[in-house]
Amino acid sequence: MPSRERDDLRAAAGIGLRSVHVAEVIATRPAVPWFEVHAENYMAPGGPALRALERIRESYPVAMHAVGLSLGSADPLDARHLRRLRALVDRIQPVLVSDHLSWSTLGGVYVNHLLPLPYTAETLHLVCDHVAQAQDALGRRLLVENPSSYLSFRESPIPEPAFLAEVVRRTGCGLLCDVNNIRVTSVNLGLDPIAYVDALPTGAIEEFHLAGHSVNDADGVTVLIDDHGARVAPEVWALYDYALSRSGPRPTLVEWDSEIPALSVLLEEARHAGALMDSSVAGERHAVAS
Amino acid sequence: MPLLREVQTTFVGAMLGGDAAPAAEYVAVDGLLPEARLQIYRHHVVSSLTAALQATYPVVARLVGDGFFRYAAHEFIGARPPAGPCLFEYGEALGDFLAAFPPCRELSYLSDVARLEWSLNVATHADEFVPLDPANLRHLGADDAEALTFRFDPSVSFVASSWPIDAIWRANQPGADPDRTVDLDAGGVRLEIRRVGDDVVFRGLEPAAYAFRRSLLAGRSLAGALTTAQAEDEAFDLTEALRALFEDNVLSGFRLAPVRKENSS
Repeated sequence: MPSRERDDLRAAAGIGLRSVHVAEVIATRPAVPWFEVHAENYMAPGGPALRALERIRESYPVAMHAVGLSLGSADPLDARHLRRLRALVDRIQPVLVSDHLSWSTLGGVYVNHLLPLPYTAETLHLVCDHVAQAQDALGRRLLVENPSSYLSFRESPIPEPAFLAEVVRRTGCGLLCDVNNIRVTSVNLGLDPIAYVDALPTGAIEEFHLAGHSVNDADGVTVLIDDHGARVAPEVWALYDYALSRSGPRPTLVEWDSEIPALSVLLEEARHAGALMDSSVAGERHAVAS
Repeated sequence: MPLLREVQTTFVGAMLGGDAAPAAEYVAVDGLLPEARLQIYRHHVVSSLTAALQATYPVVARLVGDGFFRYAAHEFIGARPPAGPCLFEYGEALGDFLAAFPPCRELSYLSDVARLEWSLNVATHADEFVPLDPANLRHLGADDAEALTFRFDPSVSFVASSWPIDAIWRANQPGADPDRTVDLDAGGVRLEIRRVGDDVVFRGLEPAAYAFRRSLLAGRSLAGALTTAQAEDEAFDLTEALRALFEDNVLSGFRLAPVRKENSS
């Protein structure tokens, strides 16, 4: 993809394209700077969903967010899945391609979840190998997203942001910094979200994700569930603002996957993210000028 | 730390309804118990896969009711988890699973309705195609029938049932008249399913036409498919059947196999 288009995304907030909104998007062409899609929903050989995506791609930049590479699996990467992702990337020409620091496939079984990893030297070696292989197969840089976690391992000596920093250093991949996931993981595992952001290699952040979560009580313990089913929480907006102050403006995506509201609500959330980006740029200029 | 593979093996077991204790051994104890933390993941795995099955099988879900569908999906997910991350490909085996599932054995049409819904799902995601122009066959003669095979629109499939699954399906669409009943004794159907434009459609075929098209789709020669059709109806009209195939734009190509001569020495 021309780098020009990626530059245009730099300070823009897009939204996740959901099937219930596709007809409205095609009919009304809303003023949204870009869309992101889940790659695995478009890997069929044909059909109306793929045709609609091709139409939308004619008018908007599209980022591709995968859930199926299983970068942390102890098994080798699924070569067929990589080929299918490459074919889709060639077809849609996305501006960004991403997947997660997690695993979901073992022994030919796909567990439909972004499962957690113990952050050990063994895992680091394996994840770096898989990221490098994926980047070779795709012929482009991959962004790796921090997951939301509900547990940690007894033996997991490397903190998650340091683990991500090392993956970036060894493979040259980019980071997809999911601010909601940092908030969810921090509450669920008792971490300091500001310290988490500070430990990330913020220069490698090429995209932010924002989404809503639910707050639950489990046996008297507060557990945040990353269900992408609500507006972005105030604490997440604040953390995003802080992350922006470290990284500068980056393409930012508002995700919404359950209890999906009207398209206008997603656009409102994206406009708010765009406003925060604008004021962080203004603040930067002010700091430079003073 | 044990090998990552050992940890992940215990997690797959815990996620698919097996014993969570081996996975819990690896989880840090802090506030919420390890088993409760694993349960958060397991809940998402089962509920998201149930939702995927419900999206592919809305009529089956409606026929058995939400609670029973969740129960059946839970059992199915444990027995037949997905093999890959494209969920539109998940659940082909649900029809066979339901046919052998003791709690719904008396709903004998259920597995056939599931097969119809799977065909609709496959047609939705099938590749695009260019219809075969009959002019391309002009040079062929009657002698070629033994060697001639056809390729079909990739969205086409066939489902037969001894129940009126077409009427059952229609009566369970959103907006269908709730007072309309389906006569289960109305007899069976032979359905052709395909995608036309953005819409997936199906229609009933006569037994001979069904046998003819199904044989061709399975790769039998024109002569072979004719034999199958004539076994259903001696008066089967080949010319008319070919005309209908082209009128329906259902073919995408043909192949003339090299003529194999017996005792050609």
